[in-house]
Amino acid sequence: MIQVRNLHKSYRVHSARKGVAGAFRDLFSRQSYEVNAVQDISFHIPRGEIVGYIGENGAGKSTTIKMLTGILTPSCGEIICNGMNPHMQREAYVKTIGVVFGQRSQLWWDIAVQESFRLLKKVYQVDDRTYQHHMDLILSTLDLSELLDKPVRKLSLGQRMRAELAAALLHNPAILFLDEPTIGLDVLVKMKIREFLKEINQTYQTTILLTTHDISDIEALCERVIMLDGGNIIYDGNLSELRRKYVTKKQISFEFTKPTDIQTLSSQTEHLNLKWKAGENMHQWIGILPISIREKASISEVMTAVSKQNEIVDLQVRELALEEIIRKIYEKGAVHG
Amino acid sequence: MRYIELFLQYSGQYIKTRLAYRSDVVVGFLFDLLQQVVNLTFIFLVFDYTSSMNGWSRDEVIFIYGYFLIPFSIFMAFFNIWQFNDEYIIKGQMDRVLTRPIHSLYQVLLEKMELESLLGCLTGATIMIFSGFALNISFGIKDMLLFLPFVIGGVLVYGGVFVFLASLAFFTDSKLSIMPMMYNVGNYGRYPIQIYNRAIRFVLTWILPFAFVGSYPASYFLNRTEWVGYALFTPIMGLIVFIISIYFWNYGVKKYRGVGS
Ligand SMILES: Nc1ncnc2c1ncn2[C@@H]1O[C@H](COP(=O)(O)OP(=O)(O)OP(=O)(O)O)[C@@H](O)[C@H]1O
Ligand SMILES: [Mg+2]
Repeated sequence: MIQVRNLHKSYRVHSARKGVAGAFRDLFSRQSYEVNAVQDISFHIPRGEIVGYIGENGAGKSTTIKMLTGILTPSCGEIICNGMNPHMQREAYVKTIGVVFGQRSQLWWDIAVQESFRLLKKVYQVDDRTYQHHMDLILSTLDLSELLDKPVRKLSLGQRMRAELAAALLHNPAILFLDEPTIGLDVLVKMKIREFLKEINQTYQTTILLTTHDISDIEALCERVIMLDGGNIIYDGNLSELRRKYVTKKQISFEFTKPTDIQTLSSQTEHLNLKWKAGENMHQWIGILPISIREKASISEVMTAVSKQNEIVDLQVRELALEEIIRKIYEKGAVHG
Repeated sequence: MRYIELFLQYSGQYIKTRLAYRSDVVVGFLFDLLQQVVNLTFIFLVFDYTSSMNGWSRDEVIFIYGYFLIPFSIFMAFFNIWQFNDEYIIKGQMDRVLTRPIHSLYQVLLEKMELESLLGCLTGATIMIFSGFALNISFGIKDMLLFLPFVIGGVLVYGGVFVFLASLAFFTDSKLSIMPMMYNVGNYGRYPIQIYNRAIRFVLTWILPFAFVGSYPASYFLNRTEWVGYALFTPIMGLIVFIISIYFWNYGVKKYRGVGS
């Protein structure tokens, strides 16, 4: 469905020299340098998959999406989506995809949502019956019916985002590209959008590629993530695999009724493989427990040992969150093993 | 055809939106009218001192002026792309345009349409008819058949030049200020080009062929046979300029680099 081979994109950036003399010299010879936004990436996404495309700011996510949607011409490499070359066959190709840029509206600012949809229906040549059937589903799932008469500029961000999604799916595209679709949205809208994307994916086998900085989006939607760093893919694979590889510890945070110190705690748990770390005050302590398959029962052992000699006010067990895993990967630069 | 259907759809939408601002439209038209009155007064003043300018009488100059307003108003209505660099390149709207299955230029033109400018055609036609009566020119079947291709040719010349200029935005990331300058150059086409010196005449005929918008075709209707060849060349010139600029636009789209967001 999406086939990317050795894709590369660099931007030529002109740097302006300082002052009037500099501007004058710029007229004749401009200094410029290349920014390699996407270095050399290859991947394949089969039909019906939802893939999370993640990376730090400036990693090259949007640049990739823009090449995949035919907006930008790749500097090198090959893209085949839906059997077409996005840039060369752009006008035919874009009929088969839907695009949402969270940062920017795809709708016409001044006209009512309904009218926008009607224009898009003409633009994409969707016939009345398909439109009716398909849009009913979309509008009801996204809860858009009341907003149809409002002009886009009067919508709240969350309302607009839902309208954008509906607009992107109006022609029932085989692939949906979403660049930060949940940016700035509240939790409820985010959840609604996730539900909707899942439903569309299940009903129509729509392939979805989305970028986001909100890892909970990825956790809710994607089986697979592609992780990008400095224009290179540093991880491409299963989300659960990633977690298994990186989650090696559990954190157990305690709050005790009485202040205590690290020596006392360590001696109380001597027989366990547990490291203690100070919390925010002398009442709060965090035990770090390595996870291994053999020592499944260890949490309860820790509990027994600790509660025998201390009164516990509060307790929290936490795994390393995906977010932290990802941060760790970036710090190391690549995924090993 | 789909493109015509789209045009109707967009126009309908446009009119609906504009009807909410009826007073704006009226004010705009009155302002435009006022400007024409100022320009015509200027012509009258000039002819207070002389009865002819390089062989053109006052009424002939006014006739050309009136004729010019017709292709010019159509151009203003459909090629409202002065702000293309700011609105589409810098603000990144071009991304959206490029993800839609219609030719990108056509989309931009449809989105930026300003149909009320077409009212200028009425002003132009009125001026033309009055000066035409004063000059006693006859307007036969042949003239009528040629009128439309001439006007379309003029629109294409004007539109082509400005599409070309707009396309420059694909290549440079600095702001361009050629558009207003070119707007002034375009206005040279309102007057018979024989009043200019040879260099300007050459430029207005072969480089920035604004003479084909007003001067040449209008002189045909004035039965000035000296420039019949040029006049008849108007539609072809329009096509040439327009086709070149479409190619240039398409080439620019390939070079489009977007803005990082
Ligand atoms: N139009 C452009 N001209 C020049 N450089 C650009 C342009 N667009 C992006 N870049 C550069 O390319 C690199 C990748 O940018 P890109 O927008 O793809 O990152 P991203 O992964 O989407 O980041 P973010 O998470 O902040 O959206 C950045 O270093 C950016 O500065
Ligand atoms: Mg981005």
